[in-house]
Amino acid sequence: MNNSVTGKRVHNPVPASAIFFFLFSLLLITYPGQAQDTLLSFRTLKKLSLEELMSIEVISVSKRMEKLITAPSAIQVITGEDIRRSGATSIAEALRLADNIQIGQKNAHDWAITARGFNTDLANKLLVLIDGRTVYIPLFSGVFWDRQDYLLEDIDRIEVISGPGGTLWGSNAVNGVINIITKSSKDTQGLYLETGGGTELRHFTGLRYGGMLSSKISYRVYGKYFDRDNSVFPDGNDAPDSWQMGQTGFRMEANLSSKNAFTFQGDYYNGELGLSTGGKTKVTGGNILCRWTHTFSDNSYTSLQMYYDRTYLAQPVPESRSGDNTFVLAPAGMLKDGLNTYDFDFQHHFRLGKLHRIVWGLGYRNTHDKVQSAPALAFSPSVLSRNLFSGFVQDEIMLMKNFSFILGSKVEHNDYTGFEFEPNARIQVNISNKQTLWGAVSRAVRIPSRVDRDIRLPTPAFSPIIDNILIGGANFKSETLIAYELGYRAQLGSKVSGSIAAFYNHYNHVRSTSLSPPPATLGFPLFYENNLKGETYGFELSITCQVVDWWRLRSGYNLLREDIRVKTGKTDFNNALNETADPPHRFSLRSSMGLPQNIELEVGLRWVDVFHYNNSGVQATVSNYVEAGIRLAWQPTKRVEISVVGQNLLNNRHTEYVISKPNPPTEIERSIYGKIICRL
Amino acid sequence: MPALRIVLHKTLNTLLFTLVTALLLAQALPVREYQLKAVFLFNFTQFVDWPASSFATEQSPLVIGILGENPFGSYLEETVSDEKVKGHSVVVHYFKNTEEIKICHILFINLAETKKREQAAETLKGRNVLTVSDAIDFLKQGGMIRFFTRDNKIKLQINPEASKAANLVLSSKLLRLADIFDPSKNN
Repeated sequence: MNNSVTGKRVHNPVPASAIFFFLFSLLLITYPGQAQDTLLSFRTLKKLSLEELMSIEVISVSKRMEKLITAPSAIQVITGEDIRRSGATSIAEALRLADNIQIGQKNAHDWAITARGFNTDLANKLLVLIDGRTVYIPLFSGVFWDRQDYLLEDIDRIEVISGPGGTLWGSNAVNGVINIITKSSKDTQGLYLETGGGTELRHFTGLRYGGMLSSKISYRVYGKYFDRDNSVFPDGNDAPDSWQMGQTGFRMEANLSSKNAFTFQGDYYNGELGLSTGGKTKVTGGNILCRWTHTFSDNSYTSLQMYYDRTYLAQPVPESRSGDNTFVLAPAGMLKDGLNTYDFDFQHHFRLGKLHRIVWGLGYRNTHDKVQSAPALAFSPSVLSRNLFSGFVQDEIMLMKNFSFILGSKVEHNDYTGFEFEPNARIQVNISNKQTLWGAVSRAVRIPSRVDRDIRLPTPAFSPIIDNILIGGANFKSETLIAYELGYRAQLGSKVSGSIAAFYNHYNHVRSTSLSPPPATLGFPLFYENNLKGETYGFELSITCQVVDWWRLRSGYNLLREDIRVKTGKTDFNNALNETADPPHRFSLRSSMGLPQNIELEVGLRWVDVFHYNNSGVQATVSNYVEAGIRLAWQPTKRVEISVVGQNLLNNRHTEYVISKPNPPTEIERSIYGKIICRL
Repeated sequence: MPALRIVLHKTLNTLLFTLVTALLLAQALPVREYQLKAVFLFNFTQFVDWPASSFATEQSPLVIGILGENPFGSYLEETVSDEKVKGHSVVVHYFKNTEEIKICHILFINLAETKKREQAAETLKGRNVLTVSDAIDFLKQGGMIRFFTRDNKIKLQINPEASKAANLVLSSKLLRLADIFDPSKNN
């Protein structure tokens, strides 16, 4: 392994005190001292005509946010406005705005993202949905963050729920759920154009047009393209992993009456991603979704949703070599994979009497996966079709005015392990309308994926003595979690709100790697079993302070402790190191300011503790780091916005994550870009 | 070429006016939702005629009532302070439940439960009260004006049948700017 990943950094780490000093001096310099300017006075408002009043945009002190204070789970919401103000350029970057999510950028186009730990190379315990469409890939049991994109301007919000969500969302919602929700086409009317470029994000352009087909049918179409620069190897040379991608899509909504609403939307993307090991991956895919919502009354509505999703990749797989690098075990080649998903989902929300609020639903999903194997990476069988049937019911019982009890379960049937149950029980105590205490016990499962069952790392050079280095486990079963959670949310006065969520998770049947028993040669092939178990615990703390109308401060701290071990009498080739790569402490601070003359200044700071990952059964380390970003924006008129954004400013380059061999480690460079937005 | 000069002059003036308005509106950010709604409530007094009988004397105040929880904080009081409408001063009264409602000209109803809203509508029948709410099905239940947001902007939906029944005259300007609720189509 390279020296640079064991903590020997080329440059001096910046002491935390220096950063705080820097940030606070920045805040002091820009203190405008005339807070009233940014709020229109009543006198001015009263002079406006009705038409003018109707054309003023309001800060939505929305029902949604009020609801958030009373939500009985560890949910955080990133609004579209938060994303715009942050200067984030991808969904993965936008997710850094939630304090309860753990992110490490691997290279120019890959991120390791999870909640509450288990952030392995193919992090597999987080379920991600975009407008109700799951983007969790059953091939690699994870999310390809490099092909989940949207025109960020048109994202309404991202709900980030840490903790299990199996009852409502189903299998693989083990450690958390991310819901990316795009805006209604009614809210994206008119022309939007953005363009810009910089040192890492070399060029980007986005375009959207929204209109009305009639007074009840609205639509939008959009397209975007970007070109990102390489990351660098620890020696400072370019890693050839630049990234070019284009995406286009549409959304149409018809609110035919106050009772029936239809949504019809689709996206298509196509891109090329360089690999640090050489060559380029080609990805292409798209989806089409329709949803019908029918409202019976204030207290009862149903939604019926269907979608089709296809994603395809063609990726060069480098040759595999023996541990001492002397033999070529398998030559280089291409892995191609096409995955088709057909999904059907029905939900009904209604009230039963005064006490019960019930939601139930039925779902069916078919995934059809076709792999063309590379010499060094294969799946057997190459073509596989899987069915997933599910049903769930959850009842929220208002036992007393301020006390609710929530009970529910999902039942699923999958082709790997048969029936799975994901029940949860929650209590919610509204101490006042400004304070909520909640607790929950839940069970969640991660069902086997094709990696767990079907993967092969063939060694044709050694056949027939050794056919494969690693194969999937024929008997690999579901990983399970029992989670205990306790949380508290409060609005303290008019300026400060905060939340804390503590958890104790008990995992069982977690993935391990075993040696084959004799007569297998030298224990090969290795194969997957479920020989690990263990506990994790910690808490997520988040505090927001609206210091004055034009200045908001937000801070988050996370603690995560893990004890994952091999079950008594069992073995793991990786010594229980392979499933975790998680910093025990993380801290973030973000300042958002709306200054006079329509200037916005945003400063974000994050500190990530040292963490350990698996290097062929031996513990390796990624050093801790502090990073910061700044966005300065000016809106000369309502239609134009000009901004300059600096990202990862504190280090020339830094390591956030190391992918297992044969991928060499890469580092993320300091970057800056400029952007112009035009709204017509 | 004096004609050309006049045209140029007018164009420049229009441009300047547009620019000033745009700048003014751009500076409006941010406005709080209920701050704006408070101004709307006050503005309704300019566009609605109440029968003289709804005021005890010519000096009696015009009463804006809030039924249920008060979402305005102090915005509404700040808006109406020192204001006069056709000789009447404007005051704000708060009512916890329907039974408490006494004299009132505009009533903002902020009750979560449909049943309670229906009960309020029943109680107010035949009285000259302009009812306003955020509730989605408010107009269907006999309410008069509903606030809703589109593109983060506050819009109005009006049920003219209901206001007519309460003997209130809404100005054509108000009706022109609002979405009109048609009970025959929305059921």
